[in-house]
Amino acid sequence: MPAAPFAERARFDARDKVLGRTQFTADIQLPDMLYAMSVPATIAKGRVRSVAIDEAMKIPGVVRVLTAKDFLAPIPPPRGATGMAAAPAVPTIVPDIAYRGAPVALVLAESIEAAVQGAEAIQATYAPSASFSPLITSEGAAREPSEPVKAGNAAEAMARAATIVEAEYECPAQHHNPIETLSTTAVWSGGRLTIYEATQGAQVVKANAAKSLALDPAIIDVKSSYIGGGFGQKGTAQRQTALVARAAMLTGRPVKLVMPRGQVFHNATFRPLSRHKIRIGADASGKMVAIEYDADHQQSRGGQFPPQYHESQPQMYGVADYDGTTANVRIDTQAPGYMRAPHPHPASFAFEGVVDELAYKLGKDPVAFRLAHDAKVDPVSGHPLSSRFLNECIAQGAERFGWSRRSQAPGSMVLADGTQVGFGVACGAYPAITSANIARLRVSADGSTRFAVSAHEMGQGIRTVIAQALLRQLDIDPAKLDLQIGDTSLVPQHLTAGSWGTASVLPAIDAVAAKMKAAIEELLAGRQIDGNLHRKLATVRRPYIEVEVSTLAPGQEERALLGLRAAGYALAGPEYPAFTTFSYIAHFAEVHVEPRTRRVRVPRVVSIADCGRVVSLRTAVSQVRGGVVWAIGSALREETEVDPRFGGWLNNDLADYVVPVNADIGDIDVSFIDRPDPLLNATGSKGLGEVAMVGAAGAVANAIYHATGRRLRRMPIRIEHLL
Amino acid sequence: MQPFTYTMPRTVAEAIAAFRQAGPDASYIAGGTSLYDVMKLDIVRPRHLIDVSAIEGLDAIETGRDQLRFGALARMSAVATDKTLLRDYPVLAESLWKAASQQLRNMATVGGNLLQRTRCLYFRNGTGNPSSVGLYPCNKREPGSGCAAIGGLDRGQAVLGQSDACTAVSPGDWPVALTAMDATVELAGPDGSRAMPIAELYRLPGDTPHLEFMLQPGEIITAIIVPKTPAGRRSTYHKIRDRESYAFALASAAVALDMDGDHVRRAHVALGGVGTRPWRARAAEQLLVGQRLTPESALTAGRAALEGARAGKHNGFKVDLGARTVADALMIAAERSA
Repeated sequence: MPAAPFAERARFDARDKVLGRTQFTADIQLPDMLYAMSVPATIAKGRVRSVAIDEAMKIPGVVRVLTAKDFLAPIPPPRGATGMAAAPAVPTIVPDIAYRGAPVALVLAESIEAAVQGAEAIQATYAPSASFSPLITSEGAAREPSEPVKAGNAAEAMARAATIVEAEYECPAQHHNPIETLSTTAVWSGGRLTIYEATQGAQVVKANAAKSLALDPAIIDVKSSYIGGGFGQKGTAQRQTALVARAAMLTGRPVKLVMPRGQVFHNATFRPLSRHKIRIGADASGKMVAIEYDADHQQSRGGQFPPQYHESQPQMYGVADYDGTTANVRIDTQAPGYMRAPHPHPASFAFEGVVDELAYKLGKDPVAFRLAHDAKVDPVSGHPLSSRFLNECIAQGAERFGWSRRSQAPGSMVLADGTQVGFGVACGAYPAITSANIARLRVSADGSTRFAVSAHEMGQGIRTVIAQALLRQLDIDPAKLDLQIGDTSLVPQHLTAGSWGTASVLPAIDAVAAKMKAAIEELLAGRQIDGNLHRKLATVRRPYIEVEVSTLAPGQEERALLGLRAAGYALAGPEYPAFTTFSYIAHFAEVHVEPRTRRVRVPRVVSIADCGRVVSLRTAVSQVRGGVVWAIGSALREETEVDPRFGGWLNNDLADYVVPVNADIGDIDVSFIDRPDPLLNATGSKGLGEVAMVGAAGAVANAIYHATGRRLRRMPIRIEHLL
Repeated sequence: MQPFTYTMPRTVAEAIAAFRQAGPDASYIAGGTSLYDVMKLDIVRPRHLIDVSAIEGLDAIETGRDQLRFGALARMSAVATDKTLLRDYPVLAESLWKAASQQLRNMATVGGNLLQRTRCLYFRNGTGNPSSVGLYPCNKREPGSGCAAIGGLDRGQAVLGQSDACTAVSPGDWPVALTAMDATVELAGPDGSRAMPIAELYRLPGDTPHLEFMLQPGEIITAIIVPKTPAGRRSTYHKIRDRESYAFALASAAVALDMDGDHVRRAHVALGGVGTRPWRARAAEQLLVGQRLTPESALTAGRAALEGARAGKHNGFKVDLGARTVADALMIAAERSA
């Protein structure tokens, strides 16, 4: 039976955070610790010829400088390995420079100031490559087709279409910019390597550090307590980890690196530029019948982040015939990677734009047009969609937003001062994925509870979700509840990303709670003892009970747990054996465009999400607000820019990579359908963090069209595009 | 950032003496919001910092006499919230509170603000430093090395006053408002004290873009004087940027109007964000004299303000945007009661 709605609960860690007690990874201080500073390459491609360290070593406080010769060749992946296990090790410091900013040396010093001064004093010489390809349009860019996604026969269906709209959209390269930049602290002691890293994937870091440093993973522990923003950048192994770990091993002292933001722009994974060519055909009645969609994106020479832009578009509007193609365009850059709603965000900006174009071309209201395209079946797998309340999201959103006050013609809503007003709608979906999980719970007679489980806290509120679910099941003292997550020394840690955190932890909580209740029942053997579990244990003089469980996604095989233990990767969905399931959202945006200087304001957004059962309303609302804020940033502000003569990223700081500020954000009204998915898990919870952002940028762009009559197909939309 | 010595004199005379003693590698520092930034980026490398912020009596705001006088050490936040300014010279107050963030305005001084360095990306990110990563030629940073912004990503670059050696925008807001309002700066230095119209403080880049200010070595700004004018009340600082706050101007306009009914008796117009120095628009001012102010005549004046503008690859929009910004500023100012 699906779980009842959850009551509101304050954030589990709110008090500590407000009091400044929460220790983020970049805050760690250890006795005898060395500070590291990485030295970035200043060429776009080539080879390091020499690194002179003498001047740096003269600086008081500089202890040692590591260069390529201090690193060993990594162990190649085991034969027959697949998935993440087969991925090549992240390079350490190597003489070959694949992109500007790659580390050429690591300076270790007694203070951060000495480390920085030492890094400035390093003199590297290079043999630059004769040419390099910094843009997808550069000579030497290599287009490489990737996996297609097809359903039915789109060409045949398109041939029968009465109305066709075709357009090309583009999304720029963007960077995550969490407040806490990449940070790693490593300790080599007693034959064990302990890595404190702000990561969403402690097991991923462990596996990759082992490969990069040719170590047995069994001697490595990775701990990620609180992360100052991850957004997917901290989900994959990044360049700094093995450097810092090696430095700790060579010096025998703890070593800490907090990478400067400019270097993070150059070394960390980022959202690649992507291009989207879309044709949608509608029949004579105005029903969408065929979709052809070709997507490509910028890729590094060896990068593996796939161009999966057909992750949720085929399931949006019940179109049976879909032809989705993809390609990587390989150039000289660092590897791109996952950034919030990695594929559906850019894909929905493009797709929902073309849907909007088609609605206008057909003379239809964009809300009514979408409502007329409900879906029951996933055309790709043929499975039923297990819970889909997108139309409920659209209808409720239209009501709350006051969509009926809109007039259809672009440019028809004008304020007295000439400001143009536009209403826009766009929708999104995101796969509901589940990871296998392992959890261990200890309830003690002294009133304490320790719960170790696979999850990471990026600020999204996973600790609040865990506490909410655990405390509903077990009568334990919330004040002495210790939630131990992100720590590979306790239980294996899945990569916490892709909105699967909640749906993956809830089954583990259900299982561990049931096992604990059974163990206590067995212990009491029929005796009735009043009070909470701690009191019961104390009464029978039992110091504690500990239970461990492992859980699997629907239809998942037991061996998935091997993947979880090895590399933190044990995923299933959104296609499960008998059903497919997604989370959905509808966004409505109002924009105001100034008559003369053409600034775009977004005074309000209404967002209604279907993420199944909502476990923690407070953190869920916060997730959606954050997603909408970022989508406004994406639509109107953010782009990382490359000067092709030099390579690298030019606007590599928070002053010039323009994210929204408070004054840019108006009212964001969030609510939820809150109806459980009947098949995915007992609680009926899907995911939310990713879908929150999907479609919101499209809603803004569609509103700008409605306000001005200008269809702008490239993000970000800036003043110069509307003058 | 290299190590430096640090002294904190108590008087202007002590500060100048400290500078003479320290020699050419010395730099004055007040709020530090700009200097520390360019030091961390390895753009400037002073060996001696002379912190003038403890000098007494240099932070006064005097509005009661026949001119406005701002001590160089008055904080931006203090001047921005001065009640007389808010009522009688909104152009000055607005230029300050639309700059930076509250935290920075609490630190930064109105004297130091006049000497802020450009935000040109190639200037800032080009030293190959561990923080900035890029390595770009820049005549302002390294004379004779070339200008990477020319032919590059020049969306933010100047369209007025640029040379073949440099297109970097003068970044300030407050200097633009002061330029419109005919301000004078008071200086003290090894050779004594003097006063200079603010328009003369800023050089055009020409073929020496590394020389930005008409200051002698060891000279320090002690005060800013603004003559009182009835145009002050009908004034505004209008700033257009890539976000609502915490950003430098793409285009800005400081305007003040002396009106006779709906006709302009005298206009003050200066632009920011588009020029290599605060840009006084005399042609626009003259065009407005005697005119009835309408959205159309305001835009004509705006176009005159951008006369002679030359665009690069990506900043052509600034010519149009600058004209429109002036036009909107004129209409906003005219709405205000004298």
